[in-house]
Amino acid sequence: MRRLNPSLVAGGVIVGVIVATALLSFVWTPYDATFVDPSVRLATPSWAHWFGTDKFGRDVLSQIMVGSRTTLFVGVVAVGVAAVIGVPLGVLAAMTPRWPSELIMRTNDLLLAFPALLLAIMFGAVFGASTLTAMVAIGIASVPSFARVIRSGALQVMRTEYVLAARAAGRKPFPIALRHVLPNVTSLVTVQASVSFAIAVLAEAALSFLGYGTPPPTPSWGRMLQESQEFLFSAPRLAVFPGIAIALAVLGFNLLGDGLRDRFDPKLEDRR
Amino acid sequence: MKSYTTRAVAFVASAALLALTACSAGSSTSGGPSAGGDQSLSLGLVAEPASLDFTTTDGAAIPQALLGNVYESLVKQDESGKIVPALAKSWTVSPDRKTYTFDLVDNAKFSNDKPFTAADAVFSINRVKTAWTTSLKAAMDVVQEAKALSPTQLQVTLTKPSNGWLFRMTTRIGAMFSETGVSALATEPIGTGPYKFSKWNRGDSIVLQRNDAYWGTKPYFQQITLKYFKDPTALNNALLTGTINVITTVQAPEALTQFTSNEKYQVIEGTTNGEVLLSFNNSKPVFRDIRTRQAIRQAIDHKALLDTCFAGRGKLIGSMVPPTDPWYEDLTGVAPYDLAKAKSLLQASGAAGATLRLRLPTLPYATSCGQVVKSQLEQAGLKVQIDQLEFPAAWLTTVLKNADYDMSIIAHVEPRDLGSVFSPTYYTRYNDPELQQLLAAADAGDEKAQLDNMRKAGRRLSEQAASDWLFLLPNLIVADKNLTGLPQNAITENFDLSRLARS
Repeated sequence: MRRLNPSLVAGGVIVGVIVATALLSFVWTPYDATFVDPSVRLATPSWAHWFGTDKFGRDVLSQIMVGSRTTLFVGVVAVGVAAVIGVPLGVLAAMTPRWPSELIMRTNDLLLAFPALLLAIMFGAVFGASTLTAMVAIGIASVPSFARVIRSGALQVMRTEYVLAARAAGRKPFPIALRHVLPNVTSLVTVQASVSFAIAVLAEAALSFLGYGTPPPTPSWGRMLQESQEFLFSAPRLAVFPGIAIALAVLGFNLLGDGLRDRFDPKLEDRR
Repeated sequence: MKSYTTRAVAFVASAALLALTACSAGSSTSGGPSAGGDQSLSLGLVAEPASLDFTTTDGAAIPQALLGNVYESLVKQDESGKIVPALAKSWTVSPDRKTYTFDLVDNAKFSNDKPFTAADAVFSINRVKTAWTTSLKAAMDVVQEAKALSPTQLQVTLTKPSNGWLFRMTTRIGAMFSETGVSALATEPIGTGPYKFSKWNRGDSIVLQRNDAYWGTKPYFQQITLKYFKDPTALNNALLTGTINVITTVQAPEALTQFTSNEKYQVIEGTTNGEVLLSFNNSKPVFRDIRTRQAIRQAIDHKALLDTCFAGRGKLIGSMVPPTDPWYEDLTGVAPYDLAKAKSLLQASGAAGATLRLRLPTLPYATSCGQVVKSQLEQAGLKVQIDQLEFPAAWLTTVLKNADYDMSIIAHVEPRDLGSVFSPTYYTRYNDPELQQLLAAADAGDEKAQLDNMRKAGRRLSEQAASDWLFLLPNLIVADKNLTGLPQNAITENFDLSRLARS
């Protein structure tokens, strides 16, 4: 029986809490997260409003809860986009002869050199700021990292004896990719997805902060931070709660990614 | 103890923000000349113009920067609203009130070195009718003929007496252009004003240089930079860090305390012409029923809205007339907040449950107020879908030009703009023959008739619920303590830079 991996446990717990909060917010939040109630604006934390209220009198806890939905949704879609494009590209690059492989990877490098936020802001400027554009842009920006990691994994698999045997037996590349390569890079995809998820969470927050992400009044942690700027001196708690939420989510997914990597990589397991 | 805790919390909050703010800081603080030199001045503004040509492009930002500073008109408004001489030293009006004769200054020169003469004035007036494309050009329709009697004498004949025409000549409509200086208005404005246009760093700033050949009193500052900030906090921070010397309109009034308690700064609070409208697209079937429009007005708790989205600063108005206009009356009582009444009106009109698109410009006050409006209208039984449109370009095209919207929020800062905003051809698509009659009677009548009819027009708009008037923007300026010449009230469409000086 394997020893429990602390990163995996801590990451799993944090991510679990965030997922549970997001699910709970569909059926219950203390208040309607977008309900404006000027009579309680800028209330300090109390039993009625655990995290206080913002300048519109909206309950901060309810907003954080609903905001976790936005965060997870963006993460899932962005990572989905990145994986769906990046994984086949990586496998293709590993299995094709020299020049097509080079072409794929150099194009990949070009995209890698392009800052993700800049790409997302360009998307926002062209297609209008929305959660969808943010998700797609973050997803596209994450494609190169997927392709690169998967290519290296797939190259290793391609050198294994069973793949050589399959090729010698005349199996076509597509069945080899599906049957032998993809199942053997699944662990890499999982780890990369977890790490990319953390990046996507931060990118969504940054985009919403800059006004290129989730438009108001849909709660978003990044925009909550942006709206708190005015109150940094008079009500700094407004920045603290979404700030902690973002930090926790990023930490959680990073720990989960680390834990999964340790778990899947036997070499690292031996070293410990 | 408490202050330590507060500071600690503030520190943690700052740290949490730091990573994200790092992304946005660059655009707003780089590139500009540093503020504080005695010969130069930097002003922080909010909305950057889409073009420098107000003859073809709408938007208050262009005359705000250029009118009175680069361009001059024959007459201008002083701070009390009185019409006073500018390029015209004096003028006479014929007994039938149809002929105006202006005596022009003889030593004014355009920045392309051409002298200003009555021929240029004739050219400018005629050009409004032939080349202008914005809806404001309609103000010149009443002119029958403009004639140069001599190089310094101009005669303008109107088709009928008009109270509004001379007043309109103080606005952008009255700007004087050189016949040889209109080939590149969008990028190179040429006027007779105390400042010359120097350069426009798009997305950042407009730089003006003192016109040393100016015919009147030369301004104090050699160079003035108008810096544009999308983010209200960045605008505040720019003053705190000395990047700018003046915040011309505070957009984050909640953060004003950091300036009021600091001896380095002066805070000016006055009034403006800026009516913040919740505008309705009156051509949409849902708004044809007056009960729906009234319901929306009565579903909004304006006091709470003002407290929430503008920190309670500004004034509640119930119609399109600001308190500085002679025909102002308090019409806030016409549509008082009454949720039950709003609900029953919506039921009666059949609009209950309807979805309305609230298309907001990306301006701080619109984003804030939009969220309050959405929440309050949803309590009354409407569904509101918020769209944000990039300001100015996307909003001007989609809402102002194409009227592709149900509701929007925007401040109309042009003076005496009741007639131009509520017209069938403007984006409000408000077609009310009775209002047009009142406005025509006000324009043609004597002073008393003007006062009476304008008052009736203001009341009619409010009673017909042609839009909702959320509040009147305050004139909130924060500036270096030793700066003088800042306007107490902002009731013209330009920001007068020529009077600014250091004490």
